[in-house]
Amino acid sequence: MKSFLLAAVGLLAICKTQAQLTITNGKHVLEISGSFSSYYNDRQLKSGEEDRSKNRFKLRDAELDLEGRVGTDYEYNVKVDFADMAANNQGATIDPENPGLMEANIKYKGFHFLDIEMGYGKLYYSRSSMSTFYSSPYWQRAELVRGSIFSRRDIGVTLMKNFWNQRANIYVGAYTGLGELSLAGENDASGQLEYIGRFDISYPSRYRYREIDDRITPIPMFSVGVNGRFTNKKLPAGEIFPDNATSEYGIKVIDGKRYVYGLDASFQYMGFSGQFEIHQIKSEPQNENDPLFQNLTPQQTKGYLLSGGYIAQANYFIKNIKTIVTARYEELDLNDLVKGKSERFSTAIAYQMSGYNAMIKFQYFNIMKEESIDVLKWEEQFRIGMQFQFK
Amino acid sequence: MKYTSKLLTLGFVLLTVTCLAQKTFKLKPTKWISTKVPEPSDIFYNSKSDSFYIASDDGYLFETNAAGDILHKITVKSSDYEAVYADDNFVYAIDETHRAIHFYDPKTLICSRIVTVNYQGGRNSGYEAFSFNKSKNSFILITEKNPITLFELDIDFNVKNQFDLSKIARDISSATFHNDFLYLLSDEDRSVLKLNPTTYEVIEKWVLPVINPEGLTFDKDGNLVVSCDDLQRIYYFNNPENK
Repeated sequence: MKSFLLAAVGLLAICKTQAQLTITNGKHVLEISGSFSSYYNDRQLKSGEEDRSKNRFKLRDAELDLEGRVGTDYEYNVKVDFADMAANNQGATIDPENPGLMEANIKYKGFHFLDIEMGYGKLYYSRSSMSTFYSSPYWQRAELVRGSIFSRRDIGVTLMKNFWNQRANIYVGAYTGLGELSLAGENDASGQLEYIGRFDISYPSRYRYREIDDRITPIPMFSVGVNGRFTNKKLPAGEIFPDNATSEYGIKVIDGKRYVYGLDASFQYMGFSGQFEIHQIKSEPQNENDPLFQNLTPQQTKGYLLSGGYIAQANYFIKNIKTIVTARYEELDLNDLVKGKSERFSTAIAYQMSGYNAMIKFQYFNIMKEESIDVLKWEEQFRIGMQFQFK
Repeated sequence: MKYTSKLLTLGFVLLTVTCLAQKTFKLKPTKWISTKVPEPSDIFYNSKSDSFYIASDDGYLFETNAAGDILHKITVKSSDYEAVYADDNFVYAIDETHRAIHFYDPKTLICSRIVTVNYQGGRNSGYEAFSFNKSKNSFILITEKNPITLFELDIDFNVKNQFDLSKIARDISSATFHNDFLYLLSDEDRSVLKLNPTTYEVIEKWVLPVINPEGLTFDKDGNLVVSCDDLQRIYYFNNPENK
């Protein structure tokens, strides 16, 4: 706890600075931006646990972002996180929330009736996942949406269209289906793709993918979205998925059919804002002895298992003191064939030294309840640090 | 959960103390109209024709009547007009993306000249406001944010001075000169600021109860007219000076 307080005092001594760059030749416009973030983490272990390796400073991001427009028809984006690449080079497992290469895509707008995005980047699934990290007071997204249950990025093609003055958006796309691991270059042995669709609508005006009402909106604003994704990755006999493809819970990619459905809602008014999001995953492993069936018989499982959960979050932006206060509750069921659900609570305070460009963030984590198939070594965790953006 | 109750208590106290302080004086609109102009970014009242020039994203420049009906429309591909101003000679439209001032003939709305005023700030944090400061006999060009910089330009559109206004608001989205004072609009703060045109010090400030205000001007009756991007609306307010 002493180290944690020292980190907090150190952050308060940092001054605000910012810079930004745009280059144009009249047709081609290139914007160069980037960000850094670093925090100190203090984990309170359960009694009897001795591994304190998570009590440390961490460089979360060291990003460089190149966004460009060529004429009216083309936009491109290359975004790299050197902190993650350095970690991956040291042998760290790829963190799906921070995979290293964040964006590498091009958008063609020449058809006018719809836009096409090709390449690698964030998927249009889950409002919480689509919201930018740098506009959030939290250091970590909810477990449900941070990339271990379903992927947040992938390689593929997306068709998108907005209408009714950008109040409504529709996205449909096809992707490799291996998520962040698709950067390795090969699909799995099934060779199948994942298909994703999303529709959201807002009222009374367009609603950006942000969590905080930093403009103290004078008229209540609402947005709801529905999304789904499907893949059928039945592996040929004797084949296995690439290492880490199934992720830590074993349900991100499965040997069989997988349906994911989600609904999200958000509102904001006079500095208050709230989000609710729910997802359900129906997995149908092709083999009766798949470990996901937990050694149960086909009569017991009926050939499928359900996973999912929900997140409820409330936020308030106190403009006078440039501070965001927020709390989040999450319930997660990794496998309905195993009794029990996990419950997590988190709260955060963020102080804006210079808007979102320079912000001190404090997050408190609490594991209220665990699932028997996901036992943790800790109960509480504190994280304090600073984010800095130049753009 | 040993720290949870303390954290929640601290949050509740912070919330209670600051909630009251967050209340500010608001202007009330006397009326609003929907306009067919998509994403109106800035508005300027043309007293000679009793019409409005409205700049719009994606390189549109419109002239409308007071009811919001479109009288003329100009399209310039690859541009993002974020500010508009007119005098006896030209209608000036400011292309934020390419840092350019487009000069239009007020009668024909044909573009006769383009001047680039270089600025290396963020693509979407470029020039958002343009007007003429009679007190200093200068055109003024203002960047949106990160930082908010007011550039004074001579009649040949060369920068002759600049001021950092970052402390007066989180962003600036429009500017207009009226009755010897400079008025600025902040979208993120939803505020109109009245400034001393010589020192650029804020004299008064009013909050607008509208979503995404991007343009302001004063009409022939002295009403404050505000264009809102997201809702495609034009709001009318009594002149805030008339208390």
